[in-house]
Parts: sequence; C-alpha cells; structure tokens
Amino acid sequence: MPSEIVEEYLETIYELTEDGGPAKTNDIAAKMGVSPASVTEMVQRLASEGYLSYEKYRGVTLTEAGLRVGKKIKRKHRLLERFLVDILGAKKENFHDEACRLEHSLSDESEKRICLLTNNPKFCPDGNPIPECEDVDCSHCTMPMAVPLRELEEGEAGEITHLKCDNASYIRRLVSMGFVPGRKVTLEERVPLGGPLLVRIEESRVALAREYADLVMVEREHPGGKRRRARNRARGA
Amino acid sequence: MEIGLIGQPNAGKSALFTKLTGIGAISSNYPGTTVEFQEGSVVRKGVRLNFHDLPGTYSLTGITDDELVATRLLAEKQLDVVVAVADATRLEQSLVLIFQLIELGFKVVVALNQMDVAKRRCSLDVESLRGILGLPVVPTVAITGEGVETLVEVLVEGNYQPSGFAVRYDRHIETLLEDLCVHPDCRTGKFPKRGALLKLLEGNRFFSEQFSEQFKARVQEAMVEFKADHGEDIDVHINRDRYGEAGRVANGVISNRIPPRRISDRISDATLRPHTGIPILIAVLGAIFLVIVFVGGWLEGALLALYNAIVGDFFLELAEWIGGPLGEAIAMGIDLSLQAILAIVIPYIMLFYLMLGLLEDSGYLPRVVVLLDGVMHRIGLHGRAVIPMIVGMGCNVPAILSTRVLESKRERLILAVIIVIAVPCSAQTAVIIGTVGTFAGAIWALGIYAILIAILLLLGRILHRALKFEPTSLAMEIPELTLPRPKNVLWKTWVRTKDFFVVAFPILLAGSIILEILMAFGVLQAFVEPLAPFTEGFLGLPPITIIALIFGILRKEMGLQLLVVLFGTADLSTVMTPEQLFVFALIMATYMPCLSALAVLSREFGWKDALKVTLASVTIAFMLGGLMNALFQIF
Repeated sequence: MPSEIVEEYLETIYELTEDGGPAKTNDIAAKMGVSPASVTEMVQRLASEGYLSYEKYRGVTLTEAGLRVGKKIKRKHRLLERFLVDILGAKKENFHDEACRLEHSLSDESEKRICLLTNNPKFCPDGNPIPECEDVDCSHCTMPMAVPLRELEEGEAGEITHLKCDNASYIRRLVSMGFVPGRKVTLEERVPLGGPLLVRIEESRVALAREYADLVMVEREHPGGKRRRARNRARGA
Repeated sequence: MEIGLIGQPNAGKSALFTKLTGIGAISSNYPGTTVEFQEGSVVRKGVRLNFHDLPGTYSLTGITDDELVATRLLAEKQLDVVVAVADATRLEQSLVLIFQLIELGFKVVVALNQMDVAKRRCSLDVESLRGILGLPVVPTVAITGEGVETLVEVLVEGNYQPSGFAVRYDRHIETLLEDLCVHPDCRTGKFPKRGALLKLLEGNRFFSEQFSEQFKARVQEAMVEFKADHGEDIDVHINRDRYGEAGRVANGVISNRIPPRRISDRISDATLRPHTGIPILIAVLGAIFLVIVFVGGWLEGALLALYNAIVGDFFLELAEWIGGPLGEAIAMGIDLSLQAILAIVIPYIMLFYLMLGLLEDSGYLPRVVVLLDGVMHRIGLHGRAVIPMIVGMGCNVPAILSTRVLESKRERLILAVIIVIAVPCSAQTAVIIGTVGTFAGAIWALGIYAILIAILLLLGRILHRALKFEPTSLAMEIPELTLPRPKNVLWKTWVRTKDFFVVAFPILLAGSIILEILMAFGVLQAFVEPLAPFTEGFLGLPPITIIALIFGILRKEMGLQLLVVLFGTADLSTVMTPEQLFVFALIMATYMPCLSALAVLSREFGWKDALKVTLASVTIAFMLGGLMNALFQIF
C-alpha cells in the first residue's frame, strides 16, 4: 500500500499526463505547492520503486504500476467530489479539498458504492473526466445496497439483509412472523391513506404497517434501473 | 392424557379441535380467533384424551400476549404430548415452531394440515419429512375431518419419542450455549437446558422469570458481546438460523411447486389491491346493509305474524289468571321480551351473524382490516378494530367481547366507547329505520348515519389525544380467500345467537317485567310531568316520549314499540314531525348501552370505566339531541 504522499504524487502526475505527454517537474511542484527540489527527490524515489520513469529535461511518465495507483486515486477523488456535491450538497469551494483528504482513506468497496449511488458518473463537478473503473463491465458490479423495505417499488423483490434495531419489541414481532435476514420478500402493494404495505414473504402474505416496514432492510433483487427512478424522485423532493 | 394443540395463526387449529373433540371452537379464516384457550375432553378407544387448544402463535418467542399465554400454558400444563398443527401450504413457518417445541423437549406429533390445498400447489413428501424430523407426521384436512382418525390413533398408541432433530446454530451461539449450560446457576427445571437458554436469549418473558438475576446479568453480557461481534442481535441471529434450516428442510420435501395462479387467486388479489379492493369493500358492506334491512324487515313481519297466530290470547289469559295490574305487567313483560327476540334477534342479529360468518370464513375480513388500517390509525385505532366494529352492527355484547383482538387495554377501551356510542347495533338500526326511515324519509335516515360516522371519527381523535396513546401498528398475515363451508358458518351463527339468548335474554326478560310493573303502578308516568321542560323545552319532543327514552336503557328497539303504544297509533307521522322523529332516533342511536351491554362492559373493563362510558354516552346523546333541536328551531 503506497503512502499518502506517494498517492498524492502519483495522482498529480496522472493528471498532468492525462493528455499523453510527460509531466515537467516544475509543473508538479507548482500543482502540489512544494519546491522543485523536493519534487526531484521524490521523483527519484518513486522511479526506484518502479512507479514512474524519469528522463532529465524531458519529464516524468508513469509506469503501469504508477498508472494504476494514480488513476485509482484520481477516480476516487472525482467520485468523492460528485458524492459531496450531488448527494451531500457540499458548497463549491469546499468539496475539492475535502475530497483530497478523503480519497486516501476511501476503501475500494466504498468507492464502488459511491459509484453506484451517484449512478456511475463520467465527469467530476468541474467537468474533468472520471477515470474508468478497472471493471470494464459495469453490469456485474451489483454491490448490495440495503434499503428499507418500504422503498421498494410495487412488485419489486429483495432479500432481507438485516433489521434495524430501533425497537426491540417490533423486531421480535417481525422475527416471529418470519422477517428474518436471508429470506426473500416482495413488496406487492401499498395501501393508500396511510395504510399498510402488502408484502409476500416466501409462501405467506403479510400486511405490514409502515413503522414495521421501515425496520426491514432489504437488498434489491435487480439493482440499477429501479433505483435511478427512486433517486430522481428523492432529488426532486 | 393431556394433549396441547399448538400452531401458527390460521393453520386450522380450532377446526381440528372441533373435529377431535366434537366441541365447537369458533374457527374463522383470520388470524387470532382463539383469544381464550379452550379445553375439551373425549374418550377414544378407552383412553381419555384432554385437548387444550392454545392461541395461535408463529413462534414461542414470548413477546406478544398470545405467545406468552401459549408458552405459559405449555410450561404449566403437564402435557403428555403436543400436537403441532402445521400448515402444509406454509411449511417453513410451521417448521420454525416445531423446531422450538423439539428444543424445549416436548414430545411432538405433527398434524400436517391443509393438505388438500397444498396438494394442488406442490408435491409434499410426508415420508421424508417424518424421517428428517424423527416425529410422527399425520396429513390432515381439518375442515373435512380427513386424517383426524389417524391422528387420534397415533395419539392413543402413545409410543412417541422425543425427536433427535436439532437446529445447528452459528458457531458462536453454540459455544455460548455450551458455556452457559455448565454454569452452576443454569437451572431450567423440566426443560432441557439448551432449549430454555435459547428462549432466554430470545427474550421470552416466561423463561426469563425462571433464572437468577446473576445468571441473567452474565447472559446479558454475552448478548452485548455477540452484538458487538456480529452487528446483529442474538435473537435475530437465532431465528435466522432457524429459518435457514426450515427453508432447507422444506425445500428437501417439497417439489414441483406450481405458482398459484388460479381464478380464485385472481379474485383474492383483486380484493386486496386498493383500486379494485375499495370498490369491492363498499359493495360488500352495502350488500350486507341491504340484506339486513330488507330481508330482516321481511322476516320480522313474517315471524311476528306467526307468533301472534300461535300465541293468540295466551298472555291475556295469563294476565287474568295472575290477576290485577301485576298480572298484566308480568304477562306483558314476557310477551314483549319474546316479541323482541322474534323481531330483533332472529331476523336482524341472526342474519347479521350469518353474514359475518360468511365474511370470516371466506377470509375477507383481513382484507377489510388492511384496506381500512390507514383510516383507523387516524382515529387512534388499529386496523383490526374494524372487526369488532362490524360485529357491533349486530349487537354490542359480542362486539365488546371481540375487542380482545386488540393488544392493549387502552385501545380496547377506546374501541368499546366508539362501539357503544357511534356504532348502531341492529336494535338501534331498527329504531332508525322504523321511525325516521319509515315516516320521515330515507334521506333523514342517511343524515343520522352521517352524524354517527362524524361522531365516530371525532370521538376516536379526541380519545386518542386524551389518552395520549399511539395505536400499535399492524403486522398481520393475510390468508387466501376460500369458499366458506355452510356447516361451519351455520354452526357459528348458532353458537353466537345462543350466546345472545344466554347472556342477554335473562336480563331482558327481568328488565321488561320490572319496567312493566313500574308502568303498571304509574311510576314511570310520574316522570313525564317533571321532566317535560327537558323533554319538550330542550329536546323539542312530546313529553310522553321520555318513557320511551327511559325504556331505551333496557332495550333500544323497545323505544319504537313504546312510542306506538304511548301514542296509540302505528302511524307516527301523525303525532311527531320529521324533525322530532330525527331527534328521537339520533338520541336512541347514540344513547347509553343497554343493560346487557353494560353488564359486559363492566365485566371487561371494571364498573368504573363502564360507568364513565355510560355517562359519556348519555351526555353526548342529549347534547346532540338538544343541538339538533336548536338547529331545527333556527332554520
């Protein structure tokens, strides 16, 4: 695992070499706000570690290993920017610095979730391209995301992942009626006027008040399409 | 031999109980019919079999009252064997309960019920289920009685063994159980340690009473630790493993599942989906209302004519034979009580119960509950409160008893108040239809119903606020619609009407005679003059109607008959204006509970609450009457 400072360098070099040409040490120094001398020292170290190749007067290019790290961090950075702006509604002037700090501690797993949550965006909020994810095929990237049962669409099925532990007596009631992690549930219908949800759980059909349905967390059977609609609705609201 | 019958709600326990004992337990196609447990005893092949019908429970977690009652009874009765009534159409759920019975060391015989329905949907390998569970498994169809004989034979033979089957839980749970078992404070009486400990971990109130505080503190510690490690409560995890196992067993014995897509399922769905369900609901309730009003009215006329033809001058002779005004009073009292039974009980109440029985057995009632749950919550009630309210349209006595379907006492009290005040029973309906409907026009009658609905909504909201109380939320299984069996429906109708004869008729008879005596000696008439300012001034009614109102305490429908007697004419429109009839009927509809209802109220809630309800209803009735009179005066 490269250190934070290594990641930061590789990310900067990645950005400067995005257009194809090598990066000048002076440009790196300017971009990172450090002295050219410390850049030269660091570049030599990174070259010896196999992350980049350095030709005097010509500049720096990333090796395959360096490219992987730099691209990954840049991807995380720009995804985080999208997340901060789109989902959390961060102010324009703050999100860049915050993403800069978060990118190093973001796990790959969370990266996937953010990608799914922000609907696999192509550009960051400033309009720069977000590097592609290593998986070329997005379709098998179905990272489970648990949502409360009541957020399913009518007719949508899912598997119970867990029960929220807000209310012990409700939980026990749910458990005794068969709402147990691992079982499949289908939301059949919502009864209007604040009525219950009609839920099919294996062979039984149960009417469940919303207070109960909020506690049952499920993983959608077919994530993707339906979520987009739900999110658009949430955004509109 | 003591035998417990246990099963999930709506698995057909009560039907099986009836078939086993010949004693009728009321069974319906909705969960939670058995609120009090029943016992029945029968001698088969020289062996006395005592059956205990326990309330339906999904599990023995011991959280809801039903579950607690079931665990307590299981623990306290010295049961020789437990018949687990499993629902073959929902095998997984039933297996979870069976697993728990096995864990608690009970000797179990499985009655695999509803086999007829299950056979249409899949093939179920009973033999291999028997092998897996290590228990006798008898396929049954309780409603027709199929397999019941075999079940009795298995019970009588009596050589059942405790099953060797055990659910393997998560490694951490198993280690914890082993550790706790050897703890010196782990004393579990007649229950196997493992089973009792599982119940303790699941939070069963009954079992947690059995352990020392010290031991429970130790267990609590372990539970907190488990949650920190797994991010899941231990009771959820235990059940996750149980359902996992149940799923595996069920998949092993069930094959060729046919997706249930038949016409009856379509109808079943249509009654649930809001956009088709709500119109169907309105149509069903409307049809019931029309049948009761028209068929009931026709029956009433026919029965009374028959009664008069048979009785003839008998009561006149009886009066003469006893002699004096007392004789007349007694003869009149009996005569009128019998007439009331013919005029009200048979045509209206019996007819109502017949239809209620059809609704129950078809499985339609839970749909009403589901569709109206949201609305009911707004007035501070649970969706299940719909059932007692519908029952209350027949008679308040069984309605108050059926408030037991609700879990908390406050909720029950709110519901009882609403039923007493705002739900017209069939006697009140008779008064509304017989006075306003007949002599003032249908639109006036509808006005009374509109006011009643407004009171219902308002009262619910006020009580809801005043009692600072949130109704418990709905979590209810919905059975599929089935065709009701005439025998069961007729039988239920009979049992419920019989209850009415036993509970209400004696009070009615005694009360009628006393009131007649009071009339005969002019006691009631003495009220007419002093109360005239109230009757005439405040309510705008002829002074003499106060007698009918006082009679209403005893029996609502008497109000109507008394008006006829008091005025000496059957055409009330000649003596009262439509406005007066309206006020009179409105008071009768909201007025205090009749004596029989009062008796049940105080039995269920204590006399203090019963008195409060009575005072509230009398106040509301007279305030409304006065208000309407004032409005009529102004406009």
